[in-house]
Amino acid sequence: MPSWIKRGALALALVAVAVAAEFAMPVIIPDTAWRVLVQQALVAVVIALSLNVINGMAGQFSIGHAGFVGIGAYTSAVVASHMHARLGSPTDYSFAHSFMIVPPAIIAAGLVAAVFGFLLGLPSLRLKGDYLAIVTLGFAEIFRLLIATSSPGAPEGTLSHTIGQLGGQQGYGGPEDRGIAQYAGGFWLVGGAITAIIIAWRLKFSGWGRALRALRENEVAAAAVGVDPTSYKVTSFVISAIGGGIAGALLAGMRDGTPTVQPDQFNFFFSFDAITMVILGGSGSVSGAVLGGIFVTVTNRIIEQLQRLDSVEAFRIAHPDVDLNALRMVVYAAVLVALMVMRPSGVFGEREIIKGRRGPAEKPA
Amino acid sequence: MAALDLKHVSKRFGGLKAVSEVSFTVPERSIFGLIGPNGAGKTTVFNLVTGVYDFEGSITFGDTSLRGKKPAQIARLGIGRTFQNIRLFQSLTVLENVLVACEKRRRAHLGAALLRSPLFFRDEADMAEQAMKLLAIFKLEHMADEISTSLSYGNQRRLEIARAMMLKPKMLLLDEPAAGMNYGEAEGLKEQIRWLRDEFEITVVLVEHNMQVVMGVCEDIHVLDHGETIAHGPPDKIKKDPKVLAAYLGEETEEEAQSEAAAGEASP
Repeated sequence: MPSWIKRGALALALVAVAVAAEFAMPVIIPDTAWRVLVQQALVAVVIALSLNVINGMAGQFSIGHAGFVGIGAYTSAVVASHMHARLGSPTDYSFAHSFMIVPPAIIAAGLVAAVFGFLLGLPSLRLKGDYLAIVTLGFAEIFRLLIATSSPGAPEGTLSHTIGQLGGQQGYGGPEDRGIAQYAGGFWLVGGAITAIIIAWRLKFSGWGRALRALRENEVAAAAVGVDPTSYKVTSFVISAIGGGIAGALLAGMRDGTPTVQPDQFNFFFSFDAITMVILGGSGSVSGAVLGGIFVTVTNRIIEQLQRLDSVEAFRIAHPDVDLNALRMVVYAAVLVALMVMRPSGVFGEREIIKGRRGPAEKPA
Repeated sequence: MAALDLKHVSKRFGGLKAVSEVSFTVPERSIFGLIGPNGAGKTTVFNLVTGVYDFEGSITFGDTSLRGKKPAQIARLGIGRTFQNIRLFQSLTVLENVLVACEKRRRAHLGAALLRSPLFFRDEADMAEQAMKLLAIFKLEHMADEISTSLSYGNQRRLEIARAMMLKPKMLLLDEPAAGMNYGEAEGLKEQIRWLRDEFEITVVLVEHNMQVVMGVCEDIHVLDHGETIAHGPPDKIKKDPKVLAAYLGEETEEEAQSEAAAGEASP
């Protein structure tokens, strides 16, 4: 069979899966809480895959991925909500309408995040390791605090007033606080996750990905064979930022999510979770990032649910001096430490579930 | 025609003058040796030529001035190099190590890679074929899929040269290629260097301590000591040059002998 027919058929099949997800998800998973969990996991896959470009493939250490996701979330929330208002604000968020709203929201989120990715990529040329990590953390925190400390009630003409249009600490809820448009149903979330996996895979197993890994292993030697560190590092930051921004767009527009975006969603713990997803699965591994994203999301939810158990509630009331939330972090950290001792390069290392093309083996099918 | 031309090249690291007013010309297709005792500034000269550091003076490669050029640009101009302490891409396979060096020749860029267009596959197949040919030349083809650090020391050195050759360079800079080799291996290396030059029609410059290799293979030798030129010429002349012998054997000049004698008297 000619390769283009095979590839076309595969593409059609994937689109069919995404369309099926749109309509099947509410039927298969009638419980909203479970549906939210699945949708969060799909977004987490995109988040982990995008961070994997910087932290895994390029070997840089960014701890500010929440910044890119947050920027994407706010951008798409604004774009989607205003376009939704233009439609006359129907309340049914139909699948047909989503094709008018989601693509521009995703593109805007990706573009704005890309600009910040470029700006943040520039210091990465001179800074390494801890120093770069601090810059990325600073970037994410500045973004969060700029929004959180601005207020729509501030005097007109001030910066605080302008940024305050995004809702300040209370969060952004669309024009006139009617809630942001939530068009990203199963089709967009499953489609987004599939697309992210394909792109991540192709990036990794391409000459570009190879050069990026070479740069990570030895910058001097890579430059000596013509790989320009500047362009590769900045490009990797931009690609990662675009991915993070799009994940943010999906997060903000998630069909069954909350109809607001809050600055505090994108705090340090968000970035920390993203790093955990990548490291747990195995830095540089696409399969690892996917499984890491799902695992961390589900684990977070399980821990949350455990705290709601009656026995745990009873324990909490009986022992008000024990901070269960802190205990959660201790358990979480212990699991990570154990993993790092037993499998320092994550579950997958840099490998994949199915054999990827190391070198030229893969031929057009 | 000169392949490489250095004129009054100097480099300071803070107060230390690592290279001072060094001038030499490497004729095209020659095998040129750059020697000197430890700390003479040989590797620094390599780093100046390949753009790792900036420099004073002028360095021209063919007709192109290397002033202000970055390492990747210089590599693209056609200068390949190896390193004194082997620098491979450790977690990459042998084949991948070599493939990285042909990124600059790639026609299919990121977009083609993401779309997996026919051009991408043709490019990958072409590059892999070239890389395998090169690996075969260096007798590494049967370990193409091994992780590069699992290779023996000698094979790692050969892989580094193969990787540099994948650039299709006009000039190859070898930094202590004979380090850690025994007599027989060094003899083999001499043959390989000559063969590389003739087969690929390149200019070879080597920094080397192993005199067996340097004297046996180089057509022209430039000797540095403390960053300064002390001799230049064909091997026969260098072997007999009193300054070179002094630098290598640490022969004392009269002044030093006197000052040492004085110091000896001062401290009983």
